[in-house]
Amino acid sequence: MARPPVVNLWQGILPALLLMVGFFLLPVLYTLGLSLTSEGTSGLTLVNYQSFMAQPTLTDALLRSLVLALSVVFISTLFAWPLAWYLTFCVSDRRRVLMLFVLVAPFWTSFTIRAFSWQMVLADTGMVGATLSRLTGAPVSLGFLYSLPASIFGLVLFGVMLITLMVYSSMATIDRRLLEANAVLGGSGWTAFREVVLPLALPGWIIGAALTFIVAVGDYAVPTLLGGGLRPVLAQVMLSVLKGTYDLPMAATLASLLVIVIVLCVAPLLLLIRGTRLQS
Amino acid sequence: MTGLMTSRALALLFWLTAAIIYLPIGVMAVFSFSSARYQILPIPTYTTEWYTRVFTDGQYSTGFVNSILLASTVSFVATLIGFACAYSLVNARFPGKTAFTLLVLAPLAVPLLLVGIALRIWTTMLGLQPSLPLAGIGQVLYVLPLAVLNLRNRIAQLPKSHEEAAWALGASRLRAIVDIVLPACRTSLMATFILCFTFAFDEFVIAYFLTNFSVTLPIKIWTTIVTGFDPTINALGTMVFAFSLILGVTAQWLFLRKDP
Repeated sequence: MARPPVVNLWQGILPALLLMVGFFLLPVLYTLGLSLTSEGTSGLTLVNYQSFMAQPTLTDALLRSLVLALSVVFISTLFAWPLAWYLTFCVSDRRRVLMLFVLVAPFWTSFTIRAFSWQMVLADTGMVGATLSRLTGAPVSLGFLYSLPASIFGLVLFGVMLITLMVYSSMATIDRRLLEANAVLGGSGWTAFREVVLPLALPGWIIGAALTFIVAVGDYAVPTLLGGGLRPVLAQVMLSVLKGTYDLPMAATLASLLVIVIVLCVAPLLLLIRGTRLQS
Repeated sequence: MTGLMTSRALALLFWLTAAIIYLPIGVMAVFSFSSARYQILPIPTYTTEWYTRVFTDGQYSTGFVNSILLASTVSFVATLIGFACAYSLVNARFPGKTAFTLLVLAPLAVPLLLVGIALRIWTTMLGLQPSLPLAGIGQVLYVLPLAVLNLRNRIAQLPKSHEEAAWALGASRLRAIVDIVLPACRTSLMATFILCFTFAFDEFVIAYFLTNFSVTLPIKIWTTIVTGFDPTINALGTMVFAFSLILGVTAQWLFLRKDP
């Protein structure tokens, strides 16, 4: 076997390292740090966080983001497990490729355009309202657009796709003999799910749920187009601070709160993954 | 294991979900040919007027050209850096490799909004003006993890023996990479480029945060949508959807195809 010529492979990772440190790690750390500073005072201070707590519009926005993201993960999960089960155990290989493609393809295009198309369909002048009016013979005003449920709905579509995909990719690796053993020993479909499929597919769900939570809690386009501007989520107030008052320490504080929320909600999930790994 | 009834019910659930996902896009495509401003049925007359308007509106074409240039540059840089990074990750052992891998993949686990806002705050501190190149850097962060993951898988599958043969014949490491590894990965490189392009082309939040007056297509679409309804968006949205779909399918097809 030839010995590899001596070249320091550090050179290969250097561009990526410089880019990630200079334009990702340092900016994020700087932003976290900036939230602890204030003009006029030197040293670290919690004044931005106090000012955040004192403004109900801001605390409401944080709560709304949290409710939005948790609901999206919860509802998507309810749909994703049966769908992943179906894709794994109920269809032929060729059909499965097609169905996975059907499920994923729309999500290659922009969030903005998909959210906009829903805005049009759900608007009072839109397809759904018009069809209902026609069917009932009376003008129907849906009153659904520009509400938190509408935002949840818009993001659930994304969540169902992602969580289904992740749960499916875990389920697909399950050794079918385990399920046969369950059947031979007289176990029902439900025991197969509870004792075999659920524990083995859980890591896939955790990744899917974590990524869905992150997208939902930080998304800007869907809450603006479907949720409207009257009851903003964290991302919306962050943008209005940045494009409006340009209060950078406050923008940094909101960004830091986003990080804190993500860490607090995703960390327990990831610990769960370690737990399942240790078990098996 | 799954009863026939259950299986049928699950099939129904699947196709209903798919129908709901596709419904608004289909509706948008149909009404992009309607002469009415709103979604009225039956459609009064069919027209391609909105499509013509997209092409004659200077702002759309500026945005389109900007987006194409930006997304090509971003994808080219991300594919190049991603390849170097993936090659090293497969072939080298170095201290902190896990930490480095996590750092490179981190933007996948962070809202884009955060990437945009942190970069905006950081560059403001450095005294840099928001501009398209800055937005480009932000977008490279966003697509680099995809490039690294895809190329790492491909490079890890390559038989080591070809490269070793080149070394034995006296090729330098770089020469072996250029002559052996790069050609062996060309389908994956192309697929990676297209995939990165698809995501960068549609990326809105980072570009919105890091530019002031420059317009990319997603930014133009966004400002048109939020400042009042304009039916040209139906036509434009349909075209962008079709464009992204074609790119995505191509990338996926290339990934499934084996490199020769």
